[in-house]
Amino acid sequence: MTTRDVVFLLIGLITAASAILSVTTRQVVHAALWLVVCLGTLAGCYVVLGAELVALVQVLIYVGAVVVLVLFALMLTRAPIGRQPDLATPLVQRIAAAVLGVATTGLFLAMLVPLVGQDSVTPVSGDTHTVATATFGTWVWPFELLSLLLLAALIGAFAVARVAGAISPRPAPADRGAST
Amino acid sequence: MMHLWLPMTLAAVLAGTGAYGILARRNAVLVLIGVELVLSSANLILVTLGSADTSPLQTGQVLALFVITIAAAEICVALAIVLAMFRLQGHIDLTEPADTEDTPARSTSGR
Amino acid sequence: MTLVVRLLVLLPAIAALAGLLARRSPRAAALLATAAAGLGVVLAVVQVFGGPSGDRRRVTATIETIGALPVGDLSLPLHLLTDRSSALVALAVTVVGLAVQVFSVWYLRDDDRYPVFAAEVSLFLAGMLLVVQSGDLVLTLVGWEVMGWCSYLLIGHVTARESARRAAYKAFLVTRVADIGFVLGVVLLAVDARTTDIDGVLRHVVGFGLEGPTGFAPFVTGSTILTVALVGLVVGVAGKSGLVPFHDWLPDAMEGPTPASALIHAATMVAAGTVVIARLSPLYAAAPTARAVLGVLAAVTMLWAALLAFAQSDVKRMLAYSTLSQIAIMLSALAFAPGIDEAPSAGLGHLFSHALFKSLLFLAIGWLSVIGGGTAFVALRGRARGRGALQWSIGIGLAALAGVPPLVGFFSKEGVLAVVEESLGQGSPGQAGETAWVTWLVLVALLLTVLLTAAYCARAWLLLTTDAPSLETVEALEGQVESAEPAAAAGDDEPTGAHGARPVTLPAALSVSGLALLTVVGTVGLIALPQGLHVGLLLALVSVVLIVGAASLVRARATGGVDPADVLGAATRLRADRGFGVDTAYVGVGRAVVTLARVVARLDRDVVDAYPRAAARVTLHLGAAGDRVHRGAPSTGLVAVVVGVVLLGVAGVTVWR
Repeated sequence: MTTRDVVFLLIGLITAASAILSVTTRQVVHAALWLVVCLGTLAGCYVVLGAELVALVQVLIYVGAVVVLVLFALMLTRAPIGRQPDLATPLVQRIAAAVLGVATTGLFLAMLVPLVGQDSVTPVSGDTHTVATATFGTWVWPFELLSLLLLAALIGAFAVARVAGAISPRPAPADRGAST
Repeated sequence: MMHLWLPMTLAAVLAGTGAYGILARRNAVLVLIGVELVLSSANLILVTLGSADTSPLQTGQVLALFVITIAAAEICVALAIVLAMFRLQGHIDLTEPADTEDTPARSTSGR
Repeated sequence: MTLVVRLLVLLPAIAALAGLLARRSPRAAALLATAAAGLGVVLAVVQVFGGPSGDRRRVTATIETIGALPVGDLSLPLHLLTDRSSALVALAVTVVGLAVQVFSVWYLRDDDRYPVFAAEVSLFLAGMLLVVQSGDLVLTLVGWEVMGWCSYLLIGHVTARESARRAAYKAFLVTRVADIGFVLGVVLLAVDARTTDIDGVLRHVVGFGLEGPTGFAPFVTGSTILTVALVGLVVGVAGKSGLVPFHDWLPDAMEGPTPASALIHAATMVAAGTVVIARLSPLYAAAPTARAVLGVLAAVTMLWAALLAFAQSDVKRMLAYSTLSQIAIMLSALAFAPGIDEAPSAGLGHLFSHALFKSLLFLAIGWLSVIGGGTAFVALRGRARGRGALQWSIGIGLAALAGVPPLVGFFSKEGVLAVVEESLGQGSPGQAGETAWVTWLVLVALLLTVLLTAAYCARAWLLLTTDAPSLETVEALEGQVESAEPAAAAGDDEPTGAHGARPVTLPAALSVSGLALLTVVGTVGLIALPQGLHVGLLLALVSVVLIVGAASLVRARATGGVDPADVLGAATRLRADRGFGVDTAYVGVGRAVVTLARVVARLDRDVVDAYPRAAARVTLHLGAAGDRVHRGAPSTGLVAVVVGVVLLGVAGVTVWR
């Protein structure tokens, strides 16, 4: 157990706990807030692993943007505040979900742990400079492709929201066809 | 010096939790939170393996950055769809069966 | 010369356009049309006398128009030509055109659509002159179609009358159906010869004159493709010239104003077929089958039309049938061309003389109909008597039609007879046997036609110059079908028999008299044709005897003012007036075609289309089925997906281990 191990263990426990809480809490907004905690501590994990840039981007994009988007979506869909009894699926499906979640974890463990071995290693993650060099050198074309993807996602989201926007919420079946 | 099985275990836990979240939630936005957890798990795996990798390509970190970008695009579109669903159906409950009537958008697509 | 020929074709076209622009002023339109027609006559005269001499049969000059069209390896020179026969026919066309224009200024002066009429006549003349002067099959086709369209416009000139509209449609449809054959023939010839130049086609086929173009095998004499092409042309000509299966549109075309009838019948539309076939006669020399078809059609037509002409109760319809008969005589001369150079000349000569006397007859009858208030014999009984120039003109015209010796009709008709007889005697070796029976058939038909023509001319003359017994008039009125062109067709409001209510103007009278004069002296024109005057002595004697016999027989039947045609009986005459139901047959053909089209459409819709529709329906149902399957709750589907993923992962890990 090195110092890094201890630090990672502490942060990782918080991460795991907040992740579990975010998928099990009965309050809609709390789920989003636990997600903030989970993703923020995950950024800490990245720092421990030596990837400061990824950690920073994680904080910027996930915690800063994505969670805000999720919160907005919750508000726009009129998510109720307070404990909700009907947030979860029926019991049978929840049990199945738990089984499947545990199975997934087992599967990952069975696959990943042997991959890295039991030995203690020194993380050799590159600093920001090397990552930037690699990104704008070797990886520049995938990077540009991603910019196109973002543009397409932007337009797609706009189009989807627009088409649906022409229809009033919960229209009566009779005037559904006429409203287009 | 550190043991890399620790982050891998965390990644496995996150993936399992995400899968549970996807399956155990009715609210579409909460399902999306599960998806985010699974994506984070993948990211963690990438960064971990990248930290054990000495190649100058920095594959792990760069791909992690890419995954974050893709995740941002994904959540953007997904939330737009959730909003559209809310406007069309008035709810975002995924356990309810889909509307059996043809929606106007489909009826205009040349039936 | 080049300029003359170009102007000859262009001038009427320009006049037509200018006439349309000047349609607000009938006076200006009349002036334009008449001046253009007069200039046309001058140009035609120049072409006749100013043409280069030399070989009188061959093309004497080739005139470029707009330059050749570049169409792959097909040569489209688009040029005009001039030779003796084209000069003569152009002269006839322009003279008739002038007479018609002058006459219609008077005849249609109360018609507010006169300017349009004059412009249409000009365009019609342009089309005909294009056909006459054309040295290119494509130009011929263009002129041909222009005439078809103009005939539709002219026949339907009185648009307010239902029967005129119907007659126009009928003319248009019938000639158009026949044109399918014409176009097919032209295309076949052009494709095989790789050129649309008429001279080139002739050289290609028969090695006529110069050596053929290298690289292409010429048609073998009597080859199938040549026969098909030429029979196609005969079909087209049959439509325009009114040979038997297509003949019924021409009498109906009498619905048009009389000057238009004169134009269509005398010089232009129906004669165009003769011009085209005469131009291509070396080809027909190489295709006995096509000639046989032409000969049989002509023989049947001339006899049948002459018979019907005898029974008609309307002067204009009688003239129409006589036109059919005469055109068939022209074509019969062309059907016998092997080795006889004068055959085309005989046909064109008859065209020339027919143009003169038939336009004379039509214009004179038009004049008479204004006096008599109709064109039925009943209305015109005895009207021609004591009318001086008019009576003389009608007399000369009918005599020329009948073929009385000193007149132009006699010589041209004898020319045709002589050609047919000669071909009977001579005949190319090896081909005589095939076509001898056709030759005999045509000869007999010709002689019988001479007889019948004399008979109906004598009848017409007698009816027009003697008064009917009063009882007869009543009877005749009862059995009367409607007049082909009620005098209202001319546009005047009160076409009563008020004698001299609208005195004829001097130019109109002069145009009729001038034509009469030309009919007498027109024989001179025939000399211009190569071997134009060619009379067999024996046949001439026979036909004179026939003419005199027929005339005196009719005269004998007509004592006391009886209509000689009464011999046939009222029922027969009524049916003859209606062309023995050919019109109904046309309608039947049309119905049959429409029914067939419906059947095909139904087959297409219900049988052929059923497969694509069935495919579409199956796809639709499959889609709907898939749709239903996918309408579960999303959450349940997600469970299934994750189960599948985990199972796959487990399997993968197990195998990987």
